[in-house]
Amino acid sequence: MRRASNVIFPALCGVCALLACALLVGLVFVIAQRGVPALSWTFFTDQMRQVGSAGGIFYNLLGTLILIAAALVISAPIATGLALTQAVYLRSASARSRLGLFLYTLNGIPSIVFGIFGFIVFVKFFGWGKSWLIGGILLALMILPTVTVSLIERIRALPRKYIEAATGLGLRQSQIIWSVILPQSWSGLITGSLLGLARAAGETAPIMFTATIFAGASLPHGIRESPVLSLPYHIFILAQDSFDPGVGAKLWGSALVLLMLVFALSMIALPFRLRLHDEAHA
Amino acid sequence: MMTNEDLVRDLRLSDGAARRPYLAGISCTRLASFAFTALALGTVGALTLIFILQSLPVWQDEGIGYLTGGKWFYRVQTFGALPMIYGTLTVALIALLLAAPIGIGAAIFTSEFLPARVRLAVKITIELLAGVPSVVYGLIGILLLRDWIYELFARFDLLSGDTLLTAGVLLGVMILPTVMTLADDALRSVPAEQRRAARGLGLTATETVLAVTIPQAGRGLIAALLLGLGRALGETIAVFLVVGRQDNNLPANIFSPRAWLESGQTLSSKLGGSETNIAYGDPLHWAAMVGLALILMTMVLAATIGGAWQRKTKYAPSI
Amino acid sequence: MMKLMHKEAESHDTTASADATFRVRNLNVTARGKTLLRDVNVSIAPRQVFGIIGPSGAGKSTFLRCLNRLTDLTPEIRVSGDVRFEGTSVRDPSVDPDALRARIGFLFQQPVVFPKSIIENVLFGVRRLRRLSRGVLAEVAERALREAALWNEVRDRLNDSALALSVGQQQRLCLARALASEPEAILMDEPTSALDPKSTQAIEELILKLKERHTIVLVTHNIGQARRVTDWLACICVRNGAGTVAETACCDALLENPQCQEVVEYLGSGSSLP
Repeated sequence: MRRASNVIFPALCGVCALLACALLVGLVFVIAQRGVPALSWTFFTDQMRQVGSAGGIFYNLLGTLILIAAALVISAPIATGLALTQAVYLRSASARSRLGLFLYTLNGIPSIVFGIFGFIVFVKFFGWGKSWLIGGILLALMILPTVTVSLIERIRALPRKYIEAATGLGLRQSQIIWSVILPQSWSGLITGSLLGLARAAGETAPIMFTATIFAGASLPHGIRESPVLSLPYHIFILAQDSFDPGVGAKLWGSALVLLMLVFALSMIALPFRLRLHDEAHA
Repeated sequence: MMTNEDLVRDLRLSDGAARRPYLAGISCTRLASFAFTALALGTVGALTLIFILQSLPVWQDEGIGYLTGGKWFYRVQTFGALPMIYGTLTVALIALLLAAPIGIGAAIFTSEFLPARVRLAVKITIELLAGVPSVVYGLIGILLLRDWIYELFARFDLLSGDTLLTAGVLLGVMILPTVMTLADDALRSVPAEQRRAARGLGLTATETVLAVTIPQAGRGLIAALLLGLGRALGETIAVFLVVGRQDNNLPANIFSPRAWLESGQTLSSKLGGSETNIAYGDPLHWAAMVGLALILMTMVLAATIGGAWQRKTKYAPSI
Repeated sequence: MMKLMHKEAESHDTTASADATFRVRNLNVTARGKTLLRDVNVSIAPRQVFGIIGPSGAGKSTFLRCLNRLTDLTPEIRVSGDVRFEGTSVRDPSVDPDALRARIGFLFQQPVVFPKSIIENVLFGVRRLRRLSRGVLAEVAERALREAALWNEVRDRLNDSALALSVGQQQRLCLARALASEPEAILMDEPTSALDPKSTQAIEELILKLKERHTIVLVTHNIGQARRVTDWLACICVRNGAGTVAETACCDALLENPQCQEVVEYLGSGSSLP
């Protein structure tokens, strides 16, 4: 009985693990298999033609890159401020944990809610119409917890001796922050940003009402009424509307490119994360 | 082991010990940090306030009927959100029924039965896959899964493959990496000496997992499920593409699994649809739409904060 | 006189090994290409306290874990050689390592109690190893707690959390937990290194009492403790980069008149004296 359960239980768990891996790897495999035929040099350099059934995804990819670049630029300083407040400035433990709870809350807000929020405030109230900047702001808000927490963890993992050494030199708090804490923990900011951007790159819900359109945009020319094309929205619209086989190939190709972009961003973050992992367990 | 408290104390000490300039305590770094924190807090505060204020008309007009009403006809100004609440909860439940056993079983395997090196490789792969965008899942759903569901349940005479079940299964696969990696973290956080002590008593590996690891990781496992649930409740795009988006579809018996094979509407799929654009001009209709977002946010936050509470870590997960 | 005792020790090593509780021959342990233990030969007689001393990192704990195959839990560790428990090789394919560990109690350096009540801790192993009725379990718990000299301290609060006990009490609780399943031998890995002198004394008294019925293998850092409780001593020292048994002798002989250079150095280093 004991002996038998000691075989059956691990086997059951193993089946679960295999199933999980098979489902997820299979999913990536399907995308790759169907997407690769669409890939070519012109797929990346040409603009979309004939409602997506011809041409490439140049402006879609560019639009997505613009959106995540904006998100990066907006989120980095705010995340740094939040992390310093949480890990350095706040004195009471309860205030720190309340700020942590805030980050958790922010992380839990569904992406469509950000979209509606952006629609109310920026598109309608500020009268910007659809704009790449709104997308950048909303995506920045969405990834803020990921970036902040990553930075906080890095700051907390700083060896005590650095702070002691700087204190011994008689540096002021802000000097220690700029000369010791931030230079030593920037990798946390990078890691968090990369992981956040990997998520932001694939998001559709926050940008569909606020920042992106399906066709008829190239480079943004300002802020008001200045939407961009984007990969996820492109896939979203084509997936609903078209069963044209020509579109099908382009569609899978776009999905593959998006997937590669997302994987590339998290892969770049990987060495930083592993290093953190190693140091934490050294 | 340096704690955050130590760091803070050190910094405070250094502040006091240093040659203070005239404007003691006021530094640009500090000001900027607090300003950015205030900005983030203010934005989320504004978000909540706007959603409450803008949804007020529908609460005044429909009262509690907004939550319990089964009919939504915006042309005659009738707004009942129940079918969408039902749809959201149902797809999330299906997703959890799928992801919970597979995800936790897989996590037990990686954390308890795999050598550390292999475990790390599996974990990295899984976390990578956790980043697959929802629109890609939606694409798989719309082009493959809904056909499979349609054929698999052909004897039930489905109207289409766009069903609550389709959306639930898709979501289940989608939250699987989240559940798995968080459950793995929870199991790994049980100290190795606890396992060693149980093995030293002569318990088998399985008995050790069941009697030591799982009970001690219990809260973490529940947290993994709650955070997965939060993701499933709030997910928009993938659900939007396969749920059928049929309004007012509330089954006579909401607990009957047959109803899972019907098309439906969730809070998020409603919000993601074109009705959001139409509604803006009409205060009551818009209030009803914003109200849906408020209900959705409340549900997701309940799950997420519940998960955070269970996990006892005060921070957002880094995934 | 000392010479004579060493002779006896050697003869014990060879002739008495037939009825030894543990008999270790040519034990080699490697991990990630590094040799931890090389060519270890030891025989441990029944119902005696067999002490193992030696410098930190020489592989004393690893040796102890080879005896009940706790080394299996560390996948990178490779064990070769012959380890016999009551005449049977512990690595024989017919041996179930879990059943083997159930017959050999183990006490860790730090007491490891489960976050459960005292009574649940005591019965943690035995209730899963054997199907016993409620009444019998209660008797088992009382007997084990009495044997571990803890009964009088906890009899009124058996359902309280074990985490509330002092570290010394926790270690005795761990001992009770091991005794509950009536092991034939008990392995102790520096069981008093985390304890205060009073708790240490309690454990030492227990060891002397327990050896009437159990074979005890005790790894210790404390030469005074070795002198007080052990009958036989082995000193594991590092030789050519790997741990090995430098010398085995009856307790007094080894401490008073060590023959090996490594042992002389270890005993003379002072830091390890009580």
